[in-house]
Amino acid sequence: MSAFLALVTAAFRREAEHRSRILMRILGGLVEILARISIWKAAFGGHGTLSGISLDEMITYSLIGGTILSSWDATMIVRDVGATIRTGAIGSSLLRPMHYPVMLLAEQIGVRLFDWLLISLPVIVIMGSIYGLQPPESLAHALLFVGYVVVSLAILMGFAILVGLLSFWVFDAHALEWFMRGLLAVLSGGLVPIWFYPQGLAEVAHALPFSWIAYHPLAAYLGQRDLTEELLILAAGAGWAAVLAFAVAFVWSRACAQVVVQGG
Amino acid sequence: MRDTLSLLFYLMRLRVRTRLEFRAALLITWLAQAFGYAGIFASIWLILTRFGTIGGWTWPQMAFLLGFHTLGYALGACFTLVQLRRMEDIVLGGEFDTLLVRPLNPWAYLVFSGFNIEYGGHIALGAGLVAWAWPQLSIAWTTDTCLLLAGGLVSAALITASMITIIAACALVLGRARYLFGIYFDFWELSRYPASIFAAPFQVALLSIIPLGYMAYVPVAVLLGRPVPYLGAFAEIAALSAGPLSAVAAFFFWRFCLKRYQGGGG
Repeated sequence: MSAFLALVTAAFRREAEHRSRILMRILGGLVEILARISIWKAAFGGHGTLSGISLDEMITYSLIGGTILSSWDATMIVRDVGATIRTGAIGSSLLRPMHYPVMLLAEQIGVRLFDWLLISLPVIVIMGSIYGLQPPESLAHALLFVGYVVVSLAILMGFAILVGLLSFWVFDAHALEWFMRGLLAVLSGGLVPIWFYPQGLAEVAHALPFSWIAYHPLAAYLGQRDLTEELLILAAGAGWAAVLAFAVAFVWSRACAQVVVQGG
Repeated sequence: MRDTLSLLFYLMRLRVRTRLEFRAALLITWLAQAFGYAGIFASIWLILTRFGTIGGWTWPQMAFLLGFHTLGYALGACFTLVQLRRMEDIVLGGEFDTLLVRPLNPWAYLVFSGFNIEYGGHIALGAGLVAWAWPQLSIAWTTDTCLLLAGGLVSAALITASMITIIAACALVLGRARYLFGIYFDFWELSRYPASIFAAPFQVALLSIIPLGYMAYVPVAVLLGRPVPYLGAFAEIAALSAGPLSAVAAFFFWRFCLKRYQGGGG
């Protein structure tokens, strides 16, 4: 556990090294949120509420969905894993006193914590003060949202590491990264909430784990469902996270057999 | 001059042949990139199926805009992005010093020797969207519209190549430039939507100091007969001249940075 925390801390510190980059990433975050909010303002076109959803709710959805629950950077894990395998650095990773997927998880948690504190928070404060940020529906919904964020992170990291490990069999990890981006863009509900989807697509999105990455946490934050239903959906999300963890463990055990270290 | 051009063409051919050695991997990359973009475009389609328009733009109009944007970007990025995105590593690793002693312009060497054919997915998706949307938008096939379509795409490609070159040139002076690409792509994402939906300062920025509004919004708005804020009747000529003007600016900025380059390797 101490090694895990050490890796989390090291990843956090590594991210904090380049201060000018932090400012640039905040600027980038502001631009991205501006784009999302502008799209929704243009789509609502002066109407306060459409399809039972208000513009204020969509602004809050965009603010949190584009920052804390953003899935874009997670695709970088696939690139990193691909590079580790292609360069042969995976050989030295096997020597460390921790499984490679757990190491990846620890490093990504460090990066995520850094992003939340030093990128997402300033962006939410700045854009929230300009466009308005709705508070959670209730204290219970706020607590559930925290639980959902943990599940969201577990599913996102589990899926990204799983796809990344496929690089052991696929020559070009770059392609995996793009497939993952396409899937998450539609099925996570990060940009467009699933309640706006056509029925067939909404059913597919609800049945897959990706909707726990952004849509379910934000629906809980905005109080779209009652607390009992929220708890059941949160438990289902935790189940998906466990399934992905088992899948990662299985694929990693098979991947280890693929590694041939030549020379020393 | 002729020898230089034939050498650059030869370097391009070498690169293409190398990439074609792994045809299945290339095909998968094309499919994957097209899939990634299609996922994002599908999100925009979902908004339009529910709300009808975004700032007055219907789905066929948005599809045309997205297709034009993707196509113009791919045409410029295949010459520049992958090659110049690693400029920071090239400078810090000392590789740029070795390029300076070759009997060839270092920018031209980098750009042509790294010509990237991985944008097949972008081009197929972009051309597909434009081809699907064009008949639905009742845009007449006249000499003017065809010239604007072709000229606008060339201009968009030049804007892409110019901006990437300008960012890469910063590495010659600052040593680091990778994080600037992050900012570039944040604004680039803005430029795939109609600029008219953004607040006035961003509209002005996208039509002036960050000329990404000319990549797709201005030429497409002119083709669709929609009014373009701030430009009015000059929109067409602005759409066609933004690319060449960006290229001139990039040329001088690259030379400016190159003169101040003092070596970054250790």
